[in-house]
Amino acid sequence: MKISALRLHNVKRFAGRGVAIEGIGDGVNVLCAANEFGKSTSFEALHALFFQPHSGVPKEVRRLQPYSGGNPLVEADIVTAGGQFRLTKQFIGGKRATVTEIASGRLVAQQDEAERFIADLVHGGTAGPAGMLWVRQGITGLEERSRSDEEGDRRVRESLLTSVQGEVEAVTGGRRMAAIMEAASEELGRFATPTLKPKAGGPYAAAAEDLARLLAQEKRLEKDVADLRDALDRRLMATRRLTELDAPEEKASRRAAVVTAEAALQKARAHSDALKAREAETALARDRLAKADRELTAFRDALTRAATLSHELGQAAEQRGALRARRAECQAAIDTASALAKAAEAEQRAARDLLARLDAAMKARQAMEDLLVRRERLTEAETVRQSLEAGEAELARLAMPEDAIDRLQKLDMEIARLRASAEAGLPSVRLDYQPGASAVLADGVPLADGVDRSVPDNLVLTLPGIGTLTLRSNRPAGADAALTKAVAGRQSLLATLGVDDLPAAQQRQAEARDKAGSVASLRLQLRLLAPEGVPALRADVARLEAIAPADIELKGDPDAAREAVAKADLQVDAARNAEREAGPSLSRAQDAEGQAEAAYVRLNGELSGLEALLGPAEARMAREQALAAERASQQIQVDQLDMQLTGLREHAPSVEAIEASLQRVRSIEDGAAREAAALREQLAELNGQIRSRSDDAVEESWRETKDQREAAEARVAAFETEVAVLDRLKAVLQQARSAARDLYLKPVLTELRPLLGMLFDDVSIVFDEKTLLPQSIRRNGQDEDIDRLSGGMREQLSILTRLAFARLLARDGRAAPVILDDALVYSDDDRIERMFDALHRQAREQQIIVFSCRQRAFARLGGHVLHMTDWVPDAAAR
Amino acid sequence: MVRFIHSSDLHLGKRFGNMAEDLRGRLREARHSVIGRLAAVARDNGAQAVLLAGDTFDTETPAPDIRRQALAAMHHHHPLTWIILPGNHDSLQSSELWRALAADRPGNVLLATEAQPIELQPGVTILPAPCTTRRPGRDLTEWMEGAATGEAMRIGLAHGPIQTFSEEAAISDVIAPDRAVRAGLDYLALGDWHGAVAVDARTRYSGTPEPDRFKHDAPGRALMVVIEAKGAQPEVTPLETGLFDWRTLPLPLLAQDDGAAMLPTLLPAGPQRRQSLLRIAASGRASIATRTALAAAVEQAAPEFALLELLTDGLETECEAGDLDLIDRAGALRQAAEILQVESLDGAKTAAEREIARAALVRLFSYAQKAAS
Repeated sequence: MKISALRLHNVKRFAGRGVAIEGIGDGVNVLCAANEFGKSTSFEALHALFFQPHSGVPKEVRRLQPYSGGNPLVEADIVTAGGQFRLTKQFIGGKRATVTEIASGRLVAQQDEAERFIADLVHGGTAGPAGMLWVRQGITGLEERSRSDEEGDRRVRESLLTSVQGEVEAVTGGRRMAAIMEAASEELGRFATPTLKPKAGGPYAAAAEDLARLLAQEKRLEKDVADLRDALDRRLMATRRLTELDAPEEKASRRAAVVTAEAALQKARAHSDALKAREAETALARDRLAKADRELTAFRDALTRAATLSHELGQAAEQRGALRARRAECQAAIDTASALAKAAEAEQRAARDLLARLDAAMKARQAMEDLLVRRERLTEAETVRQSLEAGEAELARLAMPEDAIDRLQKLDMEIARLRASAEAGLPSVRLDYQPGASAVLADGVPLADGVDRSVPDNLVLTLPGIGTLTLRSNRPAGADAALTKAVAGRQSLLATLGVDDLPAAQQRQAEARDKAGSVASLRLQLRLLAPEGVPALRADVARLEAIAPADIELKGDPDAAREAVAKADLQVDAARNAEREAGPSLSRAQDAEGQAEAAYVRLNGELSGLEALLGPAEARMAREQALAAERASQQIQVDQLDMQLTGLREHAPSVEAIEASLQRVRSIEDGAAREAAALREQLAELNGQIRSRSDDAVEESWRETKDQREAAEARVAAFETEVAVLDRLKAVLQQARSAARDLYLKPVLTELRPLLGMLFDDVSIVFDEKTLLPQSIRRNGQDEDIDRLSGGMREQLSILTRLAFARLLARDGRAAPVILDDALVYSDDDRIERMFDALHRQAREQQIIVFSCRQRAFARLGGHVLHMTDWVPDAAAR
Repeated sequence: MVRFIHSSDLHLGKRFGNMAEDLRGRLREARHSVIGRLAAVARDNGAQAVLLAGDTFDTETPAPDIRRQALAAMHHHHPLTWIILPGNHDSLQSSELWRALAADRPGNVLLATEAQPIELQPGVTILPAPCTTRRPGRDLTEWMEGAATGEAMRIGLAHGPIQTFSEEAAISDVIAPDRAVRAGLDYLALGDWHGAVAVDARTRYSGTPEPDRFKHDAPGRALMVVIEAKGAQPEVTPLETGLFDWRTLPLPLLAQDDGAAMLPTLLPAGPQRRQSLLRIAASGRASIATRTALAAAVEQAAPEFALLELLTDGLETECEAGDLDLIDRAGALRQAAEILQVESLDGAKTAAEREIARAALVRLFSYAQKAAS
């Protein structure tokens, strides 16, 4: 189905008016208008036309009515596979619904028939599921809505998916699956924690605890049993042993053994005493032999040693002499080197002294030259300074204040001006002489012809031939006070300057300028001669004069002197090095000599000691013979004693062995007595232990516990298996269910994926299998609930989801328009553009009608632009 | 002529720790009361003596009440003579037991604690081979060959395995099986093996008079032995003495068999059930449904028995498409069932994993049945 036109009359703000939106085409249609322009009204009217029965007046319908009352009329032209139709509904008053075939104008259906026609269009009906896909302002489709709306939408989605993919119940297992999973979880929960450990307080945990308790108990009892058996064994052995020990013939034989051993011991001891006496005698004889032997050997050794020593002493004396000579040689070499070094050093000193003196002479000559130059400069500077001082005095005299000339000029001009104006105010006379007339004298001066002459206070004209004519101006007194003041001012200024008039002043100024120039020149000259001032120059001269006139006359070649110094340095170094080189050989020679001396002394000492021991040389032979004879006689005595001792020893009984054997038989006797006592004690103790343990029937308890433990083990194993089985079952069920869900939602995901790709990078969506709407998204490997996303993203997802469903419908040959009423309120412009890309892509097979107030944002987005025009319903329709 | 009862392995005092609490008491009591039943069969058959060939007591240190009550019961059946031989469970090593028994024994109880002839009655000599320790490590009956008894009838009394079979495996010391012939015995009464075995005409294991385990699958019996004269062939009659029946009942199943329906034919009738400890050892193949039904039937019948258990170790689960259909014909449940079925047959998995998958499938089946109803 597609909508081609929408018209409404008397709806909300259009009281008594009608508007029409004509020419809605395929693809994206945009009705963009400011708020309160009737855009939402159109949307609501369209919604009412499709979803509100004409006969009812629920609040959605009442809302359509204008404040002023009247009957809302809504009309839409649609295109379906069956042709083009016009749907009309009037609400509240004159309720009616009609369906007209546009081509023929034939009334197809009206009232309830018409409602059914419309319902078939939007809800499916025999032709299968269909519907329009709405997204309203602010409704992102993902939040709470009225249950019936939600349910209706869900049913549309579900029916769509069902037609494509089969019954949801059949695919996901539905309620049976849920019940089974519930049962498995509940049963598992009774035994185990979520991590499959025994659950505290549960039977599994109880069995495990039981097992642990039984194991411990079994171990304890097993030990008790082992202890008891051990005690029994020990008692048996103890009894056996005691019987043996207590037998009377055994006792008697032990006693007899002791007596025999004691007698043997007595006899052996007597023999042993005799042996010891002879041994002592022999030892004494051996001592004497050893002493004689030692003396003879020492004497012979001393003889040999003395011979060796006198030979060595001769050699040592020889070596000592050689070494002494060598030391003397070394000493001489060092002395020579030292003398050489001293001579070289003297030479070095002389050379250095000469070089120093040459230097000093050169510096003195330099100073003398400097002094001469400076003296000349000082004289010249003194002269220049005098001229400068005279110039400066002259300049001071000529100097005038800067503005004096200006002031004088101004006063002159003022006087002239004042004089002129006084002149103008005066009466004047003019006499034009007749030719040949005599000159008239004015105040004694002939009056010029034809010239105006002012008359000061009075003027006496002498008219030749006539008389004197006195003219009086009769000006008020002080009329020329200003003039008089100015003239007085000039006079005083001139007096101050010491000149007579302005030209004279100007003359002096010129002179002063010349003088200043010459003074400046002199100053420059002086600075050149004495840059730091004359006194400094003078001090410089004094300093140079004070320098002692050195040995100026000393002449010599400094380079040669320097060379002599270097040569002397080298010689000194060479001499000193030679001396240093000789040093170590001297000390080595001294050391060697010392050693040789020491060796000589040592040998000499040893030899004299030996000589003392050996006695005089002529008696030595006899002494040696006497010592040898003594040794031989001692040897004979020792041999005799040894033979006797051997005889005694061969027949000696072993006291130790007899003693040991006595000890042994005694210990046997004592040991037997002690052992018997200990055994009796042990038996008493064992009897007590065994009796008490036997009465406790520990072995029975042990066997019982063992059986119980085995049973408990089997029980725990059964629980373990049970838990494993339930866990496996749960896992498999979950796996199968999520696989089924994925399969079920695959068609819509297939449609959604390319659309998502246009808006978001790497985002995938998980659908809720109940609502069949997005439940969470996965991006960057993390799951996020839809509820937590931004409003913009939610509305975009909402629209994309509907577009995906619409595509699914279209693919199924049941295209339905998607209507968006300000559905992009949260989205920024960039996203809106991308949304529109998605819409346009979609619109190739799809009608999309967008209502929006965001004129600017939507202006650039393309699509078919819709306009509202006034509309008057047919008279018949009204 | 001599008439006596040959029995062994009473194991008095055994506690049956692996059984349910109340059953334990009953089993223990049955062991004690077997003394009375032995006396009864002896009296009924005119025997003068009861020869107990070892393991009269379960442990080396039975509780004093067990010991005293046993002696009291034997005394009660005076003048019947009881001859008690130490076995491996109550060997002479437990000297305290034998000391106490010797101290407390009534006149009609003889303790065969030494390898020396005992005159049972004029002209009849008992040659006992008491177990000296738990594992003597030698054939204790050897001495019988050299024992002089004059003209008297020679009856050997011993405890232990012949050849290699034994209650306790891996025991090396064995009694020569032809000891009776070699030692000129008229009869060799043996104990240790809990089932009755005739080794030869003159050598027998009596078996226990009151079974205590599933192993032998036979009722408790004692042997009535009659020997007319020295050298005569002994006449041996088994007599039932057991109170409880311990049985393992095989239940071989074919895929189409209905195990649950076959079960009642297998089980004993009426009051006998209370005295029965039964194991149904199912084997062969069964569908999930059959298996589930069999388990349910066993569970349903169990309370009537002292013990009734179903062993399914030998039972292969046959899983057919029909079974899976009962879970679901398609969809996620069917998918889950198929995953489990494949897993239960997957040779790459361990046996334990396969078993868990199989059990999970059976569980899914039963849940699905419940969810459907």
